[in-house]
Amino acid sequence: MTTATRTTATPTTGGIVITGVAAVSPLGESMAEIADELLAGRSGVRAIEAGPPGRATRQFAAPVNHITPPPPGTCRLTAAEFAALDRLTQMCLAPAARALLDGGLAAPARDVSPADGPRIGLVLGLGAEHLKAWELDFAAGGRQVLEDRCPPSLVHRMHDWLGLDGPAVTAAAACGSSGYALAQAKAWLEAGWVDAVLAGGCDILSPTSLAAFHNLRALSRRSDDPTRASRPFDRDRDGFVMGEGGAFFVLERRADAEARGATIRAELAGVGMSSDATHMVAPSTDPVQAARAVTAALADAGIGPADIDYVNAHAAGTPVGDVAEAGALRLAFGAATDGIPVSSTKSMSGHLVSGAAAFEALACLVALERQVVPPTVNLDSVDPQCPLDHVPHVARARQVHVAVSNSFGFGGSNLCLVFRRAA
Amino acid sequence: MPVVPTLFDPSAIMGGIAAHALVTARFTEIAALRDRPGPDGSPALPPRFLRHADEQTVVGMHAVLAALAACPEPRPDMARCAVVSASCQAGRMAAARTLVQFHDQGAVGVSPHVVPQCSLHSIAGAVSVALGMHGPHLGVGGGPDSLAEGLVAALALMQACRGGADPLPGVWLVATEWEEEPALDTQGVPEGDPLCRALAMLLVAGHDTDLELDLRGPATGRVRPREPRRRGSGVAEFARAMTMCRDGTALVSWALDCPWPGAVRVSRRRGVPAIMPSTGLRREAA
Repeated sequence: MTTATRTTATPTTGGIVITGVAAVSPLGESMAEIADELLAGRSGVRAIEAGPPGRATRQFAAPVNHITPPPPGTCRLTAAEFAALDRLTQMCLAPAARALLDGGLAAPARDVSPADGPRIGLVLGLGAEHLKAWELDFAAGGRQVLEDRCPPSLVHRMHDWLGLDGPAVTAAAACGSSGYALAQAKAWLEAGWVDAVLAGGCDILSPTSLAAFHNLRALSRRSDDPTRASRPFDRDRDGFVMGEGGAFFVLERRADAEARGATIRAELAGVGMSSDATHMVAPSTDPVQAARAVTAALADAGIGPADIDYVNAHAAGTPVGDVAEAGALRLAFGAATDGIPVSSTKSMSGHLVSGAAAFEALACLVALERQVVPPTVNLDSVDPQCPLDHVPHVARARQVHVAVSNSFGFGGSNLCLVFRRAA
Repeated sequence: MPVVPTLFDPSAIMGGIAAHALVTARFTEIAALRDRPGPDGSPALPPRFLRHADEQTVVGMHAVLAALAACPEPRPDMARCAVVSASCQAGRMAAARTLVQFHDQGAVGVSPHVVPQCSLHSIAGAVSVALGMHGPHLGVGGGPDSLAEGLVAALALMQACRGGADPLPGVWLVATEWEEEPALDTQGVPEGDPLCRALAMLLVAGHDTDLELDLRGPATGRVRPREPRRRGSGVAEFARAMTMCRDGTALVSWALDCPWPGAVRVSRRRGVPAIMPSTGLRREAA
């Protein structure tokens, strides 16, 4: 167990920092827009129609209402070519291009001589690219899933469209996929393989994934009141609400970012990872491995539990998962637990699956930037098995120097990220 | 642009290969492997553990168990190892069945197993659960360049977790693919009897292995990558190169070109000269 005294809350002179951010989500695209929605406690969940062609039924989820195309000059596709892409590709490419632009590393800004060009890598957190692509094609009358072909992955097409030249990898860890993308990015930068990494992930709602999660009995069935269906840590929770979207970030070594005068939004200070190794779907009832990921992330960041000002919990609203996470947090934080505010922004955004970890990293950046902890909406009656310092219904103003984000996924995957406020 | 490209030190990102195994199975042979993968004497998996698993997961598990059987003592602490799987279009047969059944029957026709068992992470998750590995696990790739992606991700994981109080003792990399992507019927059954291939290798940070890996890349940006692969991620070639390098009969090193400017080199542990990206098979002086 790490120390319970505050060890540091100021940025180190080095480290890996975030210099660009963009999203596509049920709550908006820009960080400012999403911050306003999260801190106001507004839900992106609503009724939708989903099902086989001609037999769609009324369901509920948190859909993305609008995808802004990449700004001119940020990628090699024309507006018409972008419009012709499938929804998954659009939803990954658009925020990726905008994140590069936000970080000052979009292609026109990098128009330098070859010898001086930064090496920019790409890590795309996406757990079921091909399943979604085959489904979109099948719904449109295609039969790619049956054909003996093997097209290049989306990450390599994005790599080309965005004019990048570092390594490009798709990383998947179920609901932690886009968080593992950030973890890979940090490792690449620390190893010196690249000068910057574009990392994040997105996911889309699809009729078969809604059906599959419904048949797993993982989804809420509170269809009479969609906006109140996502209720993490609440005594009456009955499953999660699917959403779509995600976020992308530009990460760099602090010295490189400072040398080029980039705006530093936060530091990715620590990463911790582990596996339950107990079940392909259900989280372990033993909190040891999830707590181990949290403890490892704190150690990587060089901090202790008393340094944490906010935890963005994975808490999706499943009966088993929320209890397991509460146990892991108590085990990892010990006596400091009761003084650390915890909330789940999935209560507003829904569960973005592959994109969830990246979106929730963005929620941590919101807390660091605005000095306000987002709430867990619909938390009317706290489950006594989840005894934490919850932030129900209304955002809480407080100093936030360090924010922690948990992501857990199928296969017993545990990930914890630690973000520190920019100097 | 004042960014100064950083030369990276290959010695910092080397990994030794403690064990590896390449296995193949025809589609019609995979049903039998579901009940008992691995060579005789392999650890028993939980009953019916692979019942709903994708075909590439079954063959990948078979490869891990074969490599485990070949792993010399002393072995790393398997309970603390990580798993990276690098598959190519895993889950396509189940996806075909799912999409057809969803179209015909609606939501009731969708198996609850399709997401946990047929996603990109599923092979790594299955190995982690079946063999009790508590290090991180993730799936990588998904397309025809998955091996290169898997090698980079596994080396990065080793790099990230080599220090601290709880360092990773090893990373399993499990690369799987169909020799040729088969055409499927609407039940997800392939034409003919295609061959599934899996390569498992145990990467360790120590320096007492016969084979080692390192990642090579340019010191600056703006080097045009090669075109992404359209078929086969190079699993067979990489396995053959490992065997030849280990035996020292024909090769001492071999580099797998990546779809970005760079290469992953496998070499027999000697003082061999560095090779540059875009090489392919090459004989070098020992």
